Order: sequence, then C-alpha cells, then structure tokens
Amino acid sequence: MNSKIKKPKIVWLQAITCNGNTHSLLSANANRLKLFLDSFDLVYHPSLTTDILLDDLLEKEEEIDFLLVEGAITSNKEFFQISDQTTSEVLKKLVLKSKYLIAVGSCASYGGVHKKFEQNSDIFGLEEALDKKDISSLVHPIVNLTGCPVHPEWILQTLFSLKEYKQMPLDEKGRPKEIYSYLAHHGCTRNEYFEWKVEAKSFGLKEGCLFYGQGCRGPMTHSNCNKILWNDVNTKTRAGMPCIGCTEFDFPRNNMLETKKNIGIPDEVPLGVSKRAYLSLAGVAKTFKIDRLNEKIIK
Amino acid sequence: MKTVDIVERIEGEAKLVCQWDKKKISDVKIQFLNFRGFEFILKDKPILDALVYTPRICGICGQAHLKATVEALENIYKNHNEELTLTNKAKLLREIGLNIEIIDSHIKWFYMFIMPDIVKFSQNSLDEYSPLKGKKWLESSSVASETIKSLAIIGGQWPHTSYMIPGGVISDPTLLDLVSMQNYMDQAIRFYEDSLVGIELDNYLDFKKSEDLYKVKGDLKDFITISFENEFEKIGKSYNRQLVLGDSLSFEKGKVNRKLIKNIDYENIEELSINSFDIDKSKVSKEAYTWSKTALYANNFYETGPLARAVVQNRSFVSDVHKHYKDSMFTRVLARMDELGFLLHKTKQLIKQIDINEESYIKPKVSLSDFKYGVGQGSVEACRGSLYHDVEIENGKISKYDVITPTVWNLGPGVDGKLSTSQKAIVGSDSLEKAKLILRSFDVCSVCTTH
Ligand code: SF4
Ligand code: SF4
Repeated sequence: MNSKIKKPKIVWLQAITCNGNTHSLLSANANRLKLFLDSFDLVYHPSLTTDILLDDLLEKEEEIDFLLVEGAITSNKEFFQISDQTTSEVLKKLVLKSKYLIAVGSCASYGGVHKKFEQNSDIFGLEEALDKKDISSLVHPIVNLTGCPVHPEWILQTLFSLKEYKQMPLDEKGRPKEIYSYLAHHGCTRNEYFEWKVEAKSFGLKEGCLFYGQGCRGPMTHSNCNKILWNDVNTKTRAGMPCIGCTEFDFPRNNMLETKKNIGIPDEVPLGVSKRAYLSLAGVAKTFKIDRLNEKIIK
Repeated sequence: MKTVDIVERIEGEAKLVCQWDKKKISDVKIQFLNFRGFEFILKDKPILDALVYTPRICGICGQAHLKATVEALENIYKNHNEELTLTNKAKLLREIGLNIEIIDSHIKWFYMFIMPDIVKFSQNSLDEYSPLKGKKWLESSSVASETIKSLAIIGGQWPHTSYMIPGGVISDPTLLDLVSMQNYMDQAIRFYEDSLVGIELDNYLDFKKSEDLYKVKGDLKDFITISFENEFEKIGKSYNRQLVLGDSLSFEKGKVNRKLIKNIDYENIEELSINSFDIDKSKVSKEAYTWSKTALYANNFYETGPLARAVVQNRSFVSDVHKHYKDSMFTRVLARMDELGFLLHKTKQLIKQIDINEESYIKPKVSLSDFKYGVGQGSVEACRGSLYHDVEIENGKISKYDVITPTVWNLGPGVDGKLSTSQKAIVGSDSLEKAKLILRSFDVCSVCTTH
C-alpha cells in the first residue's frame, strides 16, 4: 500500500441505536476488515477509538470524507443526548464537514425499530432529519444502507466503491442498486420448495419454504442476503427463520413470524408478479405431488 | 469539587459525576441520559413479534434478550397448565447460541473495551493493544468474527436473529454443521491457549488456588502484572454480594450475601424508580438523574455478572481469588476472562450432546393469542449478568413488558441513602482514571440500560 496517498477519513456516529451495526461490522470477514482498516482512517468511533472524543471532533474544523451514522436521529434532548447535545445537533455539525453521508442500518435510514417509540414523535432517519442547507457540503446523495442490522459487506463495498469511483447508483429509496435490486429470496436454499409450492410443515425443519406459513418476506424484500450470505456461512431463511423484511421502509411490520392469508392463499405475492399469475402457477404446481420434495432431504 | 465526565467506549455512553473530598471521590452519580422506550414499543404489539423486537434492545447481547423472551412466553403456557415440551436438542441449541454470544462479547470486551485503558497504567508501552491497529486488537476482532460464525450456523446470522421460538428453535443443523461449530470453538480455544492465557485450556481449568495466578501467561498475564503494579486488587470493592438469576446447563442460580443460598424467588425482585426519569413527568422526583432504574433483590443491592456466576457456582480458581481480593476491580476482570475459558470448554461439550435425530421444534397445541390473559417471566444469564423479562399478554397483544438488564443491577442509581453496587465500588477512588476503570470493570452496557 502506498502510504503517501492520504487515506480517506471516516467518522462513525452513534445516535439512537442498539449498536448492532457496529457489532455487525466487527463480525465482518477478518481479512476484509483488516483491509478496510488499512485503507481508510477511522478517526472516530465512540466504542472503538481512543484518540479523540466526540467534543474534539466537533471543535476541529477538519474535513470528513465519509460520515457513517448508526441509529435514528432526534432533536428531543430529554430522551436522547450525546456529549450534552441532541443527536440532531451533532449530526448537523458533522454533516457540514463531510463529503459523503451514509446511513448505516434501517434506523439511520428510516427510523426503523426506534421510530416505533411513539411517545417521542421526533425520531427520524437521516434524510428526514436534515434539510437542504444541512447537506450543502455533500458531494453525493445520502446513501441508505438498510438492514437490521446492516450486512458488514454492504458497508465495505460501499466505502471501497465510493473511494474508487466517487459515486454509485441508488434506487428511489436511496439504497445502492447493486445491493438492493436483488431480493432476499434469490439464492435461498429453499427455492425449489417455493417453485413447487411445498410449504414448511412447521418451524425447525430443513425442508419446505417459509413463505406459506411462517411469514417469509424473501420474495418481497430487497437485499442480497442469500447471494452473499451472513457471517460467511448462512442466512436466516436457509437456517429456517423467515425473512422479516428488515431492509424495507416498513420494517418492523406486525405479525412478522406468520403469513397473512386469505382463504389459504398468501395475501401478498412475490414482487412484480400478478396475483392471477401467481395463483395459476401455484394451482398447477400443486397438482404434482413430487415425492422427493415431500420427504426428508437426508433420509 | 465536582467533576463531570463523559465515558465513551462502553456500549453507548454514560456520564460520571463525581464529588471530591480530600482528593478522593466522596460521592458519585452514574448517569445514563438516553431512553429508547422498548417497553413502550412492545406494548400492543402482536405477542410473537416480541421475538423480533427484544433482540434489538442490544446489538451485543441480543440472543440473551431473545432467550429471556422465549422463556417468558413459554412461562405463560406453564401458568395456564399447558406447559410446552421442549426437546433436549432445542434446549441445547438455545443455550449454545447464547454461550457463543457471551464468548464473542468477552473476547471483544477484553481487547477493545478494557485493555486499551489498562495498558495506560503500564510502565511499558504496549502498542500491540492499541485500538484498530495493534496486533492484539486485530487478532481479537478476527477471532471474535470467526467464533460468531458458529452461532450463524444455527441462527442464520448474527447479530439479530430470532431463532428461538416457543416450542423450540427454527433450525435443524446437520451433523456436519455441528462439526463446523466444534471447529469454530476449537479455533477460539486455540486463541485462548496461545494468546490469552499462554497455557493449555485443560491445564488452565485445573487451576484451584489464587497462587495459580502466577502460572498464567499470555495477555492475561499483562493484565495481572499491571493490576498488581497498580493495586487494582484493592480498588473497586463493593458490597461483595453476588446474584445469579438464570439457571442453565452452564450456570447455577443463587446468591451470596455472606452465605451462599441456591434458592431464588423472583418475588424478591424489586424495581424502583426513585432516582430515575420517567416518561410521565408527574412521576419524576427532584432527585432523578438517570434513565436507569434501581434493581434490588430482597431489599439489597447485588452484583451480577461473571464474578457472581463463578462464586455462586463455586468454580474453584475464581472463588479462591475472590477470597483473597474480594469483589475488587481485579477479581471482576479476571472472572470475566476465566468465564471465557470455562464457556469455551462447556459449549464444546454441549454441542457434543446434541442428538440430531430429535425434533428442533414441537408446535404448541394452542397459540398464545388463544389465552385471554397471561403473565410470564424469563431470566437468563447474559454476557454482563442476570437479565430478567416480565411479560403480560391480553387478547393476542402484549399489554405490558418489563425488562431488567444486568447493567441496571450493577449500575442503577442508589436509593434511600444506600449506594448502588457500582457507586459503592467507585467511592473512595483517588483518581478519575481509576474510577472509570472500575466502571468499565462491570462491562457497562448503556445501550441495554437505556432500553
Ligand atoms: S424461505 Fe423465503 S427466501 Fe427462502 S425460498 Fe421460501 S420465500 Fe424464498
Ligand atoms: S433475510 Fe430478510 S430479514 Fe434477514 S437480514 Fe436479509 S433482509 Fe433482513
């Protein structure tokens, strides 16, 4: 690595959060994390760095290349403050020094789980918490890396690609297209069961698709979880837990562990598929009873 | 004199307000100034959605919250005389997952949260411990991320899976999956042996006396040396009362208040908010200074966490160290790292006990929403100590949810002139640096506390 080239500076801000995105990052593939730490200068992270405190950072006039924010934002000081200020004040001061602003996780993007605390009506994702003049220094639209938590690879890929190419195409919800054009369904090991409409008889099984009873939102959720896998080894849907749609605007929804049905038919069908097309296909698929798909995988 | 200091590099942020008298801390307030309202969020939500919400109380101990929730919900069945049958396999998979999370947390805590401060007290410059760059920091983060893969095998991912549900678990690992999990444990054990204690795990687990401290090598030896150089075995002492609420294959419940008693009754748990903020302003007293509540057992403050677990379980090495150095900052840190070794060994054994032919999940005959009303409690041992969930349901919805986290037990505010466990541990310190170390020795999770 050429040490003469200045490493881009990263500041990580924690607002209203469970710290899950921090721990997701720390659980990244170790070689990738090391390369990341070698390639960027993580000047401040409240739980990881020791050299400076948030106050020092706010006072210093220095430029920040990438401002990463974990957690939702509020200007209510009674419920939430960091270094004696509201998260909204801190955010605004830091954004003015930054070139890129990245929302890390669904809370920072849209409010997420924390927005459900309705007694504080002032909880927002970054986009909503900032107005035009707050973001005047940014050279790129806000990047929303949704997910609860975010996948560490989404952070690394985004940072490396912005470092290299300066910009990345985003979808209409501010998410990088290359990550969020996929559906969580793509690559699930239960896909064959989905094709042939073989439902999982219950939780706790390797066999069957979780779309029909367990509430899986894989076919309606934008994310590439099943393409890149979690912790390098697995995904929830592969293991047997339904996708709960944590990368979407409407997360968390109600009744996440069951499928809403109408006379036995799932209320929602895969994204972009008409209900009629879905029902015809399902009807046909169900007329075939395929023994292999109704038996244990490992006998 | 009064000092106000913000403590970062814990999970979240806390404020330490100290009163000084003759160069010593005469009074201290630990303030958690943030509130995320999880108990309010959970109200009126469909019952099973709690399994998705509560892990998100905390990014580092989400599986502990998950297990507490699932046990509280199963307790509702029991209270309706509809007790669910859980297979041994399901029980094991739950406990293994939780243990792996504790292992991951302990590794990160030592290298990322406490050692960077401990080494400042050393006469030598120990750059290897420096955050983000030091060899040891990097090694520990690499080991932690490898270790947690074993949880992803059964949970699908970490953080934030909801793989435990009333009736069992959602996954059905193959034998090869279990072998991979063993492998990840073995890798972590290697790290423990080669880097942390410098001797074989079996030999380490044979330690019985506090003299054995001198046999410890590796990074833990750095900690021990620096501790004795700076008399960390003399600071941070509190009431010397220990409490373990959760019962499992790995830990035993009980309490020590001079004597060890193995009988725990949840009825004795009391949560007070005399010095705590409340979202109903009319309930807030003038004295209120933190969002953390106060947790008492039978009217007393107790310490929870690895030290409490080792003492209640009478694990000989830590118990003997504790006999010599009481509940000092030194003992507390040592107990946490000892527990890491203990759990690595234990968890490997537990994985071995799984019979893959058993069911992972047995569907409950009735659904929770069939009960008009119900209450249930669950208590588990999380990384930082005892975690308690208390849930009430009505017509398919959660009507009340109460969470008492380990940090509330340890770091909540004192009441009625009595100092809380951590306040008592900090009062008497002669420097702010030491006070902060003592605070850290409890492994503070302000995120959890401000749920
Ligand atoms: S379990 Fe979910 S993600 Fe997997 S195939 Fe079925 S619907 Fe798709
Ligand atoms: S599979 Fe679904 S719920 Fe799970 S992380 Fe991916 S998007 Fe979120």
